[in-house]
Amino acid sequence: MRHQVSSRRRAGPPASQTVPAMGLAVLLSLSLPAGAQERFRRTPPLPDAQRLELKLPPVLTFALPNGLTVATARRPESSVVTLQLVIRAGEADSPPNRPGLASVTAQMIGKGTKMLSADYFENMIESLGAQFSVTVFMDYTVMTMNVLGDKDLVDRAIYILRLMAIEATFSERELAAVRRTAYWQLYESKKDPEVLGWRQLLSVLFADHPYRVATYSEDVVKFITTRDVSEFYGRYYRPGNAAVLVSGNIDGAAIAQKVGSLFGAWTGPAPERAPLPPPPPNGKERVCFVEAPESAAATVFAGNVIMGSSGQDFYPFLVLKQILGGTTRSRLFMNLRETKGYATYAFTEMEVFGSCGIYWARALVEPASIVPAIHEIVGEIGALASGPAVPSEIEEAKSYLVGSLPLRFESSAGFAEWMARYVALRLDPGQWDKGPEEIKLVNAERVREAARRYLLARPVVVVVGRPEWLSQYLNDLGAVEVYDSGGQLKHIKGEGR
Amino acid sequence: MNRTARALIILAVVLPSLQASGSQEAAAPGSLPFAFQEYRLRNGLHVILSEDARLPLVTVAIGYGAGTLREKPGQEGLAYLLENLMFQGSDNVSPLQHIAFVQKVGGELNATTTLDKALFYETLPSNQLALALWLESDRMKSLVITPAAIDRTREDLLKEHAERVAADPYLGTFSEFDSLLFPDHLYGHPLIGPRMSDLAEAEILEFHKTYYVPNNAVLCIVGNIDAGRTRELVARYFDSIPPGLDSPSPPRPEIRRENDAVVRSVKIPVGSAGFHMGFRFFPLQAGDTDCLRILQYVLLEGETSRMRSRLLRHDLTARYLTGALDEKPSIATLKLFCLATNAVMVARSEKGILAEIDRLRSNAISQDELIKARRRFKKDYFDRLSTNLGKARFLVDAVFAGKRLDTLGGELDAVVSVSPQTLEAFAGKYFTPQNRVVLEFGPQ
Repeated sequence: MRHQVSSRRRAGPPASQTVPAMGLAVLLSLSLPAGAQERFRRTPPLPDAQRLELKLPPVLTFALPNGLTVATARRPESSVVTLQLVIRAGEADSPPNRPGLASVTAQMIGKGTKMLSADYFENMIESLGAQFSVTVFMDYTVMTMNVLGDKDLVDRAIYILRLMAIEATFSERELAAVRRTAYWQLYESKKDPEVLGWRQLLSVLFADHPYRVATYSEDVVKFITTRDVSEFYGRYYRPGNAAVLVSGNIDGAAIAQKVGSLFGAWTGPAPERAPLPPPPPNGKERVCFVEAPESAAATVFAGNVIMGSSGQDFYPFLVLKQILGGTTRSRLFMNLRETKGYATYAFTEMEVFGSCGIYWARALVEPASIVPAIHEIVGEIGALASGPAVPSEIEEAKSYLVGSLPLRFESSAGFAEWMARYVALRLDPGQWDKGPEEIKLVNAERVREAARRYLLARPVVVVVGRPEWLSQYLNDLGAVEVYDSGGQLKHIKGEGR
Repeated sequence: MNRTARALIILAVVLPSLQASGSQEAAAPGSLPFAFQEYRLRNGLHVILSEDARLPLVTVAIGYGAGTLREKPGQEGLAYLLENLMFQGSDNVSPLQHIAFVQKVGGELNATTTLDKALFYETLPSNQLALALWLESDRMKSLVITPAAIDRTREDLLKEHAERVAADPYLGTFSEFDSLLFPDHLYGHPLIGPRMSDLAEAEILEFHKTYYVPNNAVLCIVGNIDAGRTRELVARYFDSIPPGLDSPSPPRPEIRRENDAVVRSVKIPVGSAGFHMGFRFFPLQAGDTDCLRILQYVLLEGETSRMRSRLLRHDLTARYLTGALDEKPSIATLKLFCLATNAVMVARSEKGILAEIDRLRSNAISQDELIKARRRFKKDYFDRLSTNLGKARFLVDAVFAGKRLDTLGGELDAVVSVSPQTLEAFAGKYFTPQNRVVLEFGPQ
């Protein structure tokens, strides 16, 4: 189906909650004249009075004497157990001269130990029927193993996780294979305008911040050596900088004991790191154009730096993001697609890292409408910053956020991802499953304050599209920085105008 | 002593049970990991309910037997167009308001058209179940199809399709491969194509009138529901919708076996090279699908699976390889998609795959390898059923596949019970050149 469809909701009187007995309903329906319709069809029904309470299983956390965090969550309905090794080091921890090192190091985990070849090790994991994956975020890395819930299999999986964490070795042969895979993944990703736009936005917003190291292309991974990987591993893969998480239909105490006995011998101090300060938001008018010669339509991004997840503005900003572009009913979509017809879609997103976050609007735009679409996007952001949101918009945004939040935790993968984030970023216990309560407490004043603080600064604009569109459609803009698909600045169009 | 030998000794001490059989893993045989109930309304609507109180959510899925199998030659795109017209309004829901109503309460929704059905589904807060039923019943009862809506929807779909094709250089090769794999129009024609522009209003209305009727539909509700109350709501919203005429059973294609493997090549507008390779299995006998499900795991699932390990890890002839089992009525296909750096590597990768097929035909799969495949299959099976939507789709798919729902619990057991001998016999019977189709692609 198309996701890019919407229009305004028709006003209507509230529906009756009365439900006639089944027999009566049938009689009524059978007695209707042709062409008439039952009354209950005319208006949408009200929700049931049933209280919607999001209650996640509690996360039980403790620390081993070596500093390793162990966290368990019991999900009795789950047939699959998820084990995760979380390392509190991510893309941002790669040295400036070795972008991608965090990712390559994580990919090398599980590629053998002193005693076991990579082939043997992989076979050992997969012989359990387990699925192993690695995800590297800005501030942390998660290695995930999913396995059937049988105690024997889970015990063996924990042992394998121990081998990975404590006894990893890095051979030239395996590094060559990992570099090759990383190269092709990054090469293929350049065909995706969304990836290009996102990377460019990050590199501009974090130009003078360690997070900029996360914006690399395929060329850099070939410089990474086994020595680099060993050093990164030696520095960050330490018990005081790590956590083992287990969720599923488990006996938490027994699992914790098992983890304690297997990981107790892991030693080494946690790296000393000062918390990263957030960068200042962009304040200048800045437009970047990234060349993507195969594009059929232009992808437009506009975004800026915002607060982290622990700030008082976090939940009000969620509401703001929703009002601006959360769904097909939001301002951007209604304006750019439904009213002006500039875009196929227009939404907003936000991502929160350890020290700060960013928000961005994202639209797929007709090439001829790039400039007016940019004006509308920046205008909508500005309008929300300077003028109050309508109370009904705020309430609708809150309703959406409260209603949609449980969807995130439905699958084992979704639950485990949130648990890893919660533990990795040491989030406040109130954030575990109290999001809906916090959202309900957001009022117009808090929304207004958050808008003033984070939407007033001018967003950075990134356009991804065909090179020829620059001269065809972007002449009305001021200076435009032009980048190739690898993120290299080629020239500045219209500089000095 | 070499490293591998040392490793084996250490493992023998530390992990004495690593290669043990999976005998403890068996769930209760013959039962699904969740309960459900099914019944029919007077108008023929098939209703399935399943309670899951973990989270305050409910999924409502409704499938109509209105897939691409119902399209006649010249009607390509009709089923997909109808799927999208279902969002263009009904008597009490304005055009595109269906989406707005669901999103307003924090729900998610989508729809999909496949060979056998058009499926519509929404997951939303469980106290909004009545809203979902109201919306679905309104468009089942009184969908409004206007010439303007047809034109607008058709134009949008063709435009978006063109954008997708432009953005994904491999996309076109998938539909081309399908038409090669299934020369018969019924299975081989694409979901969308230029012929959508030629569809007349009358045939669109006729398609809707014939197939979008309660007696050709399955309604499945899974989540935090009270079954009694849900039955009342279903009756309220759906019972009075008049049935349509009985739809004839979907036609079955004629599938011919070629004398040799079919191999074709096409050009694509990017520098990559690669190929699709497919194996056709027909006519299917009892137990054949169980064999295929396990073979898919032996060959393609996981880094140590035979084909992935060979091409991506040892021969290094490919940089991407994936595969999927496509089960259609009366025929199943194992489809591979492989990317390599150039034509030489494409040829070597194809050779590597065929070598693995030969190995499959001539050597029995070891017990260890079989246990690995069974465990992974089982894990993925449970993963699939871990969400309300996963369960709903599983049940609706089964109904449209003509399965009795009370037999579904035995499927997992049947798959994990397949023996190495059965697999070897299956491979010898079906993995023949006559069942193989290849589409190579490379730069222009």
